[in-house]
Amino acid sequence: MEKIEITLTINDKLREVSVAPNDTLLEVLREKFDLTGSKESCGEGVCGSCTIQMDGKPVRSCLTLALEADGCRIKTVEGLANGDQLSDLQESFINHGAVQCGFCTPGMLISADALLQNNPKPDEKTVRKTLAGNICRCTGYAKIVDAVCHTGNPDNQCPDCKTGQ
Amino acid sequence: MSDYTIIGKRMPRIDSRAKVMGKAKFTADLKLPGMLVGKIKRSPYAHARILNIDTSKAEALPGVKSVVTGKDTEGVKWGVFSYTRDQQFIQMEKVRYIGDEVAGVAAVDEETALEALDLIEVEYEELPAVFESMEALASQTEPIHEDFPNNINVHINIETGEVDENFKRAHYVREDTFVAPEDSYFMAEPYAVAARFDYDGCLEIWCPNGGPHMKSKPLSNAFKIPLHQVKVRKITIGGAFGGRSEICPADYICALLAKKADKPVKIEFTREENSIATRQGHAMITTHKTGVDKDGRVLARETTCYLDGGAYISTGPIAVSVPFLSMEQVYRMESVRYNGYSIYTNKPIRGMIRTHGRCFAAGLDTQLDMIAEHLGIDPVEMRLRNVRKPGEHTNTKSKVGSCAMDETIHKAVERSGFKDKWGKLPPFHGIGIGTNAVQVGFPMGIRGGSQSFIKFNEDGEATVMSGVVDNGQGNDNMLVQIAAEELGLLPEDIHLVSADTETTSSDPGSYSQVSTFVGGQAVQIAAANCRKKLFEVAAKVLKVKADTLAAKNRLIFVKDNPEKSIPIKKVVRISLTNFNSVNAEGGYWPKVDMKREWVSNPYGQMCEAFSFGTTIVEVKVDPDTGQVEVLNATACQDVGKALNPLVLEGQFEGAIAMGGQGGMLTEYHEWKDGRCLNPTMLDYKLPLACDMPNIDTIIVESIEPKGPYGAKEAGMSIAMSAAQGYSAAVSNAIGVYMDSFPLTPDKILAAIKEKKSRPQNKES
Ligand code: FES
Ligand code: FES
Repeated sequence: MEKIEITLTINDKLREVSVAPNDTLLEVLREKFDLTGSKESCGEGVCGSCTIQMDGKPVRSCLTLALEADGCRIKTVEGLANGDQLSDLQESFINHGAVQCGFCTPGMLISADALLQNNPKPDEKTVRKTLAGNICRCTGYAKIVDAVCHTGNPDNQCPDCKTGQ
Repeated sequence: MSDYTIIGKRMPRIDSRAKVMGKAKFTADLKLPGMLVGKIKRSPYAHARILNIDTSKAEALPGVKSVVTGKDTEGVKWGVFSYTRDQQFIQMEKVRYIGDEVAGVAAVDEETALEALDLIEVEYEELPAVFESMEALASQTEPIHEDFPNNINVHINIETGEVDENFKRAHYVREDTFVAPEDSYFMAEPYAVAARFDYDGCLEIWCPNGGPHMKSKPLSNAFKIPLHQVKVRKITIGGAFGGRSEICPADYICALLAKKADKPVKIEFTREENSIATRQGHAMITTHKTGVDKDGRVLARETTCYLDGGAYISTGPIAVSVPFLSMEQVYRMESVRYNGYSIYTNKPIRGMIRTHGRCFAAGLDTQLDMIAEHLGIDPVEMRLRNVRKPGEHTNTKSKVGSCAMDETIHKAVERSGFKDKWGKLPPFHGIGIGTNAVQVGFPMGIRGGSQSFIKFNEDGEATVMSGVVDNGQGNDNMLVQIAAEELGLLPEDIHLVSADTETTSSDPGSYSQVSTFVGGQAVQIAAANCRKKLFEVAAKVLKVKADTLAAKNRLIFVKDNPEKSIPIKKVVRISLTNFNSVNAEGGYWPKVDMKREWVSNPYGQMCEAFSFGTTIVEVKVDPDTGQVEVLNATACQDVGKALNPLVLEGQFEGAIAMGGQGGMLTEYHEWKDGRCLNPTMLDYKLPLACDMPNIDTIIVESIEPKGPYGAKEAGMSIAMSAAQGYSAAVSNAIGVYMDSFPLTPDKILAAIKEKKSRPQNKES
């Protein structure tokens, strides 16, 4: 199949890549850039494990063609930390025990990060609604929801908001 | 209060940093030099004879590097027990379910591999198929497996006490039947496997697993190579829930393709393949007949259970036993008769699932509630009169050590406000309770124990080697916590080498809730042995007796005079310069009755400990739509000792989601002629963040004398009791005892309608 050159800004770095018209963004990120943090769990837009941000908006990279992302800013889980310095959200996930097997975690973090950028103090209901597009089979979501709600917004009743401080 | 430094603390898991950075590598993330893409050709028929397979066109396709069929195999059959070896990894004569493996290809890319699959021509002769256990039992057509007439694979019969006599003297007897279709694991990570052979003929393999040593043995059998030549490597695993405990045919096919192509091969399952061709929960039909005295105490119970075992049975005897075991562990019964059958059908293969036997367990509790209502006893009292007490024996003769069953009930009742709510809630608003118990391990023969090695490095840090695997539940962190506690180091000083069959000793795997109890305990013992060596050296330097020393925060110090201390690093260096070993080993083998056998002798000490759990659930049902809104779930478990409450709570919460919210309300497979109609996440309804209720978790510590620091297991008796609590709450809300699970809106609406139409019903 004919390849087409596209330009992506991935985690603040300008990258050029030639892709086939049917390559998904997920495939390109994982295979061409070795950014394997984004996961494929369902491949059909249901589970959210492949969620990345495209120009700040969370999208399912398994359903997005790489071509559609031409010229866009892409943020993946690998772009959340600043070098070794984790973001507050990442720290909060660790401290609240929101990570079990970790397969859903990259997508969860990216969805939650997008939410927090627009709404730094979301209430629990909003968080649950926003994360309804990210399936986690391990945690029952309770600790994920706490981790998001308490990011940059510590709750002094929560034993895990103190951990790591 | 204990004076542990690290045990019992809310310690964030050591593996989470790599996971939140997207750096943890799962099997699908692996890239090996020259790696090919593997794909599996599967049967489109539920039951058919294979007449011919022609692979020539596929082999001729440019880019195809190897094609394998049954002819390339050694013909070895798999099954956990000698009497369940019924599955070839690639079928040669017959296919027995839609999805059965018939061939594999490895090619330079996915497109080529898929094209090659289509070019493999298989000629079949279709055979009559059977899809339900009752139908399979009665079937007159060719049995699915030659040697099993009536398609009965396993029959387990257990009988203790005077069952018939006790039914005669019972004050009240009732018999009810409960059913549930198949459920699935839906681990977030679809199955994947990567394999390669090295120049020495050693197989290196990466795949999600419930125990690396449980993979290496069958692979060595299948390839007829020595065990040491199979190196199952550690890899991050995206969930298991009982579904990754065994070898998967794809492991073998991937390795065979790699061998034939002389290149690494990786197979990644689609979501559909993960649902159909790994394993699934069993469909079950369970009849409980229970006789009680006038106080509601169970005098006799007769339970008959038919499990739809699918095309290949493997762990069938365990699958048939576990629902019964949970019952006899949680509830006292003066006498009991159990007949459990696993029946072959032309459906996908089955295994143990987290809430194994949901209709069995939820049915049992539903019936208890029915009996309680008849006798005018409330559900809590009914349970308190019947649940297990410490020091007792189960019907099949396992002594129960620590047991805080009562306490879990009292605490959950209090926290949930059950007493104020039960019987007093408005219409379509209900509350229910479930209680359950699970065994911490069972006799596993040669792989029943775990051994660990610990080596100190010159810098005073330690490397811990253990066969324990982490499926996502936090086992790696558990091992590090234990080693750090025992050695007096900080968690970051412990370096774990685990779940690798080349470097670690045999271990039972994360089966049957034993990782902490057996594998964790092996590490505890190894670390204690290692510490002893350090103390001997330190004692000489500090000029005190070794038994006056303790270790904490990288220091060895005199207990009564902590000022007098020496850094562990220094002790290590002194030891090494004085020709003293600073390494140690330790092992733990649970004292179980090795003569106990699932079919031939299901009696004797099963394991050393049992965990006990209570879940109370409050729901509202919409009478117009049948939708259930879960308001609150209270989960309380006797865990023995909470090694890490942060991790435990997560296990409880996940257990509520899978056992209750999903398992009792939405999750089931639908079928048409043996074809699964909902293998994907789109069609199989998993709980979402917005569906989940508030969850209250309560930890009860009974301190099991045989467990490490008193620990037993984390969360399994919540997963089980959640199923019971959810169903009890819904039944309570609608005023109908439900007998078919999960409780989907259509069933709920039908039950409400049926109740309304009952002539004697005078309510609204
Ligand atoms: S993999 Fe993209 S939504 Fe599931
Ligand atoms: S942590 Fe395993 S799926 Fe979310």
